[in-house]
Parts: sequence; structure tokens; C-alpha cells
Amino acid sequence: MSGLIPLTVRELKKWYRNPVFFLVGLIQPIFWIVLFGSAFDIAKLLGPAGVSSTLSPFYPAPNYITFIIGGILTTTSLFTGMFAGVNIIWDRRLGPMSRFLVSPISRSSIVFSKVLSSTFRILVQAVILLAAALIIPNGLVLQKGFNLFGVFVIIVALVLIAFSFSSIFSIIAIRLRKMETVFGIINLINLPLIFASFALFPKALMASWLGTVAEYNPVSWSSEAIRTVLLYGNLTSAQTNSVLLYLLYLFLLAAFLVIITYILSEKEIRD
Amino acid sequence: MTEYVIETTDLRKTYPGNIMAVKGIHLQIKQGEIFGFLGPNGAGKTTTIKMLSTSITPTSGFAKVMGYDIVRDSMQVRRNIGVVPQDLTTDEDLKAVENLRMVARFYDLPNGPSNKKIDELLALVDLADVGNHYVRTFSGGMRKRLELIMGLVNEPKVLFLDEPTLGLDVQTRAKMWDYIKKIRSELGVTIILTTHYLEEADELSDRICIIDHGNIITIGTSAELKASLKGDTIIVETKDEESLKEISGFSESVEEPIINGKEIRLTVKDADSDLPLLMDFMIKNGITPMKMSVQKPSLDQVFLKLTGNEIREESGESAFKQAINMRRLRK
Repeated sequence: MSGLIPLTVRELKKWYRNPVFFLVGLIQPIFWIVLFGSAFDIAKLLGPAGVSSTLSPFYPAPNYITFIIGGILTTTSLFTGMFAGVNIIWDRRLGPMSRFLVSPISRSSIVFSKVLSSTFRILVQAVILLAAALIIPNGLVLQKGFNLFGVFVIIVALVLIAFSFSSIFSIIAIRLRKMETVFGIINLINLPLIFASFALFPKALMASWLGTVAEYNPVSWSSEAIRTVLLYGNLTSAQTNSVLLYLLYLFLLAAFLVIITYILSEKEIRD
Repeated sequence: MTEYVIETTDLRKTYPGNIMAVKGIHLQIKQGEIFGFLGPNGAGKTTTIKMLSTSITPTSGFAKVMGYDIVRDSMQVRRNIGVVPQDLTTDEDLKAVENLRMVARFYDLPNGPSNKKIDELLALVDLADVGNHYVRTFSGGMRKRLELIMGLVNEPKVLFLDEPTLGLDVQTRAKMWDYIKKIRSELGVTIILTTHYLEEADELSDRICIIDHGNIITIGTSAELKASLKGDTIIVETKDEESLKEISGFSESVEEPIINGKEIRLTVKDADSDLPLLMDFMIKNGITPMKMSVQKPSLDQVFLKLTGNEIREESGESAFKQAINMRRLRK
């Protein structure tokens, strides 16, 4: 895919050189951790039975942050991915798109440079977020036995979420061509995507219909996969299988959306 | 390969809503010439150049650029051409050299030679000192110069310039002309440009193609086009339109008088000798002129004669709207 590397480098240069973009991208996940993660005190929620109770819907999470960190990582990835397409609209409005269109580069590389650069940004955000969660008092508690497999699961889940949503939102941006419309769609769907998932709450706390819906939500797949490796450390083979199954679902979704994006971007990006 | 750099056969572009922007163009452009498309806004110049530079596909017809079909071999066409679109295509958040290097990567050019080429190009348009500055700090004229060399990084044989001096002040425009001439003489590039400025077409082009409403009206050198006027023009304005018709018959040498309101344009072989005759004729017939003037051949008149309209300038509101609408269609 010729042009992919120079275009991705361009995106990343623009990102790290813009201090506002850069800081917002890094500080926002920290807000999530500190504010959202501390908003619920599981100990109070569970009363005298306490956190360690196996009756806790968050079991075996020692605190809420440890429970939701997978959800927050996924949500951050989702957000950054959804905004990937917006830069395509800017490129069209400000002029660089005219240069890309007359250059001997494949048209899909214009889209995938946004996908790759947002994936890179997401991974940087994830590292900062995890570091912040580990540092703060009563923060993330890593279980014994958390190993490279856990790191692998976190990275793969986030990359697949990033690929899925940045591809589909790039296509939306290419077709709709209007900033306002894309923002509207993002606003419309991010709420159901987050709340109809296991990102913030376990199935046990949900209305049964919502729990069923959430099982088909890719945000749940990623959140659950990351949660499992973080909460259990050493996984049983059943747990390993369920994590791998989630990753497989995510992979199939991402592969499907990336292929669609490739085909449509080769066809649809024109002057 | 033929001796022509560009050949088109019945090239057409119809936008949704059956808006025919280009209605069947036949063209041959020679190696090394500066070929200027001259026409008002919305005439189809940009659409033509965008088809030839592969950013839009024609509705029908064929065109070859450097021997490559613009639809089938569009990638090959893109490798061999340079394009300076109407839009400013540089990224303001990058430095000038970074923009140029990114373009060099698009063509898979190796770092060493392309960096050297980029330095040469910056020097060519007097931007060597500011190569490491962010593009957002550039003035309008500097950005236009940078745009010029953005299209030259891949050392193209053909360079397309779409309205290269649009919106520039007179002095900056004259400087841009110098740079464009320098590019042709120093790099030996065939240049295809569009403009709605008559003096620009006159100043730069070896051959001018007058285009209006999607059709080619005529193609020729500036001298040929002026010669086609067959002489000078006498313009007479009178109080009433009635007497205009009488005037047109003052001499047998008058060709194709054009009446426009209270004004008549008479083409004569030699205004210097015909003017006294006309004065005499008007006095005898009791016609009082309000204004009289003589015009020696110019592209303005060629345009007027061939299209029946003055070239529509930016200021004309309807022309502006038309240009905006065309742009919206293209996007």
C-alpha cells in the first residue's frame, strides 16, 4: 500500500507537535481513571460482606478501578478510533487531499494512515492510563501470575478495537463529508456502545435484555478479555479459551471492517 | 510513442444532474510547450485538467498522457506528471521541507537524491532560507511558490498548473510568471495551465486554447489569435440604438459589426485611415457620438469576438456563484 508510511508519519507528527491534542489525549484517560474509577466505592456498595465476598458482582476485583480498567482502556480506544475519520474531512477541506489524489499512492493508504496513527496513539494512551492506574492510591492491583500473555491480550484487544472503529468511521467520514454529521453519529452511538456493554458494569447488574445485547457488543468482548487477564492473573484453561474466543470475535470483526474499508476507500475517495 | 505529450479524443465529463462540464474535447499538446486553457470561471478548464491529471474520471472519451491512458494506467500517469491544484495542498502544520519530503516518499524516491532535488527546487523559487519554517508562517505568495515546487519533486515531464496566480496581487503574479518561465527553461517541462486572466495566457502560453461552456472555441498562438481579428476595432457609443445600424454600413471594409446596447464594435483593416471616413459619415448622417475609441488587437478582443462575451472576472457575482457550484459538483 504505497504512501501508507509517509502519510502515517505525517499524522503522528501533527499529533505530537500539537500540545493541546497531545495533552488532551493523555489527560483524558487519567480523568477516567481518577474520577470514574473512584466514583463507586465497592466496599460501601457491598456493605459488611466486603470486597472479598464471592457474592460481589465485581468478584474477584479488589476495587472498582481494577474491575473497570479493561472497560476504560476499551472506551478510550473506541473514542480515539471514532475520531480517526475526522482528519479525512479536514484534509479535504484544507487542501492536502488534492495532493494525495494526484500522487501515485493507493487511495486506501489515505484511510489506513489514519487507522494506523490512531492505533499508535491508543497504545501510547493505554500505557499512560495503566501507569496512572497503578500509581494512584487504591488503584489498579495486578494479580500474581499476570504475565506476557496478559500484555499480549491487552494490546491485541485494543488494536482490534482501534482498527474496527477507525476503519468504519473513516468510511462514514468519506461518505458523509461533513464534520457535523460525523460528530452527530459519534455522539449518537457512543453511549449505547459503552452502556450496552460490560465495559463499566458486570452482567449481573444489568437488566436481562441488556445483558443479552451486551454479549454481542465488541466493546464487551475487549473489556471482558482484558478484565479476565487482569483479575485472574494465572488463567485456567477455560478462562484462556474464553479470552481467546473474545479475541477471535474481535479479529473477525476487525478483518471484516478493514476489508470493507479497503474496498470502499479505493472506490469512494475521489475529488 | 507519439510526439505528443497529451492527446485527447472526445473527452467528456457530465456531472450528476446532467450538467455537462466538458463536452467533447479533442487536443494535442506538444513536448516542451506551455499550453494555456483560457476561459471564464465554470468554462470546464479545471474539470479538463482534473481529468488529465487523474483526480476525476471522464464520463466518456479517451486521453493519453505521456502515452498512458488516464483511466486504465492512472498510476503510471500520476508517476509521470506534476500537478499544482487550485487548492493549497501543503500541510500548514509541517515545515516546507517536510511537505516536500512527504511527496518524495509518495514516489518512492530514495532519500539522498530527493533531498538534493528538494534543496534545488527551494532555491529555484527563492525559498531556500525558509525551507525549515512551518508553512503556516508563509505569506500567500510564498505558499503559492511552495505549491509550484510540490508538483516538481518527482521531476515530471508534464506539469499541470490550475489557476497558478488566482487571488494574487499584480506584483506577486508577475513574479509567479517569472518562476513558471524559469521552470520551463531550466527544467524543460511541458506546462499545461488554466487561467481566466487574459494577460496571463498571453504572457505565458505558447499556444492558447479558448474554452467556454465546456467546448473548445479555438486553439492557436497568441499572435495567430490576434491575427484572426483581421484588424483594429473602432468602438462607437451613441445616444440611441437606432443610429448604430446605420454606422455599420459606413464602409465596405467593415466586418461583422457587434452591437452591444448603445455601443457598436467595428472591425476594420486599419483604424488610422478608416476613422476619418467614419467621422465624415456620421457628420453627414447627423449621428452624434457619445464616445469613440480604437482598440488594437488583443486577446480580450479575440475572446469577445469568439464567445460574444467579455471574459467574466472574479467580481461578477453570477460567475462567482457558477464557479462555486462547479467546485461543489467536483468535490
